[in-house]
Amino acid sequence: MTSRILVVRCLMLLVGAAPPWAAAAEPVPAGQGDPGDSACLSCHADRELHLKLESGETRSLQVSGEDLARSVHAKLRCTDCHAGMEDVPHPERHYKNASQFKAGFRDVCKSCHFENYTKSLDSVHYAVQARGDAHAPSCVGCHGSHAITRPALPRTQISRTCASCHEGVSIAYAKSVHGKALIEEGNRDVPVCTDCHHSHDIADPRNRSWLLKTPELCGKCHTDKKLMAKYKLSTNVLSTYLADFHGATASFGEGRAPGSERVAALCVDCHGIHDITKVKDPGSRVLQANLVKTCRKCHPGAGESFPAAWLSHYEPSWERAPLVYLVKLFYKVLIPFIVGGLVLQILLHLWRVVVNR
Amino acid sequence: MSRHSDPRDLVVRFSRRQRVEHLVVMLLFLLLALTGFPQKFYDSSWSHWIVDAIGGIARVRWIHRTAGILFAIATVVHIATAIVAVATGRARLTLIPTRRDFRDAIVTLRYYLRLSETRAKFDRFDYREKFEYWGLVIGAAVMVSTGFVLYFPLAVTRWLPGELIPVAKVAHSNEGLMAFLVVLTWHIYNVHFAPEVFPFNTSIFTGRVTREHLKRDHPLEYARLFPEEADEVLGLTQEKPEPAANRDG
Repeated sequence: MTSRILVVRCLMLLVGAAPPWAAAAEPVPAGQGDPGDSACLSCHADRELHLKLESGETRSLQVSGEDLARSVHAKLRCTDCHAGMEDVPHPERHYKNASQFKAGFRDVCKSCHFENYTKSLDSVHYAVQARGDAHAPSCVGCHGSHAITRPALPRTQISRTCASCHEGVSIAYAKSVHGKALIEEGNRDVPVCTDCHHSHDIADPRNRSWLLKTPELCGKCHTDKKLMAKYKLSTNVLSTYLADFHGATASFGEGRAPGSERVAALCVDCHGIHDITKVKDPGSRVLQANLVKTCRKCHPGAGESFPAAWLSHYEPSWERAPLVYLVKLFYKVLIPFIVGGLVLQILLHLWRVVVNR
Repeated sequence: MSRHSDPRDLVVRFSRRQRVEHLVVMLLFLLLALTGFPQKFYDSSWSHWIVDAIGGIARVRWIHRTAGILFAIATVVHIATAIVAVATGRARLTLIPTRRDFRDAIVTLRYYLRLSETRAKFDRFDYREKFEYWGLVIGAAVMVSTGFVLYFPLAVTRWLPGELIPVAKVAHSNEGLMAFLVVLTWHIYNVHFAPEVFPFNTSIFTGRVTREHLKRDHPLEYARLFPEEADEVLGLTQEKPEPAANRDG
């Protein structure tokens, strides 16, 4: 069974075109008259040109010269990426299925973008692809192939790129406090997908070690004094979280039940993830009125006064949580007084013993 | 009974039950401190070292709570039996602070400061021992009650305001720290490093002290136990100790 059928018409066209090695001396932007690339395009402009995989699937081999000319790779030649394709007819290549066909793209980018290639090997996308899932994106899945442009121009493009697979998340994000600021106001302070998830070494967000890093992740912006001052947000959120039961538990990397993948409540468990809103938003999970419902997600029997056990990221003060503040103050005075007094007595005793000698 | 014997003869000071109680409280105290402080100082590297060595925070908490329940039982049993013993007249109120204890403390401080050469004469328990005992009893009450509030926050907030939970947490963690520091300095000094007892006052483990030590540290108790020597002992500790008449030769 032949794995790859080059449409015979393609070969016919090539007869009249210049051989690709003829233009090696002076690189010219692709699609702008480079004889080598135009030679390629003489076949690959054809929308009928396709590759048949062993699985019976077909892949189009059409390339748009205009896309190429507009791409960041306009100055590269076809064979810079498609190494080994100088010869016509092209050497035979066999692909079992679409997944295997796509996996090959990663190696193409590797020779120039080695760092990002290496990172991508740690990504959840790579892991899924390695399991044979044809939907998992390799480099070109996100960046595009011939029409490749700068990935973050404009910044909103990033969530649009992810949305092509993660549509639900993208819709939730667009409605969130972060997404709205980005999309409606062009705010550049708010995070886009890749700020939290990274771009090449995207970890599985259900992964425990990644989950445990989320407070640090949110904290990167939310403890930035300059940035938070701009929005009148507290930078104590991380320290107050860590000082409480949930945060301390999470900092020891443990779940509620031994062996459980779930960890103690993290930022996202109360505030939400992609649909995070302003705290004062009527729909906010952490608005006083909605808080008990949020607590009950993990504490099913929580009563109306249970949420007050959490000081809402505030340091105890006379105005907020006066009782906590007073008890804290009491011990702040008592401990040095008692311990200091006893140590003083010990020293006096020792001194007297020495004097007696 | 009333024979004059070697000063190294032993006198029973603590009952078997008291010795067991001390041992239990000591071990639970150490265990609670070991599993409690890593939770208080969650961001120090030694905390993580201890938690990892024990096998994770869930296990640390399980140990802490189990030890806490045992400590609570020990506390309740101690107080209940003390009340019963006093009510039935089987025990003397030797640990109740009296006006004399305050006077003893002042006399002792004056002695330390060389304002006077008089040394206080102590009964069965001196003011330092009473201070430590009541510190432990009150501390235990605070630790046990706040510990249970933290153990069952859902039940507590069904009846009481939620702010009690962080209050209990602040009290539990600070009271625990204070208890630990007091034991570390005061108790360890008094039973190990004080020159009189160095290196180890073993009486709470053996239940016995030598007559010599009892005479020195608790002369009033000694005089009560050995009335025939009362005059001699009480005379010995007077301001200007007269060389006691050597009655025994």
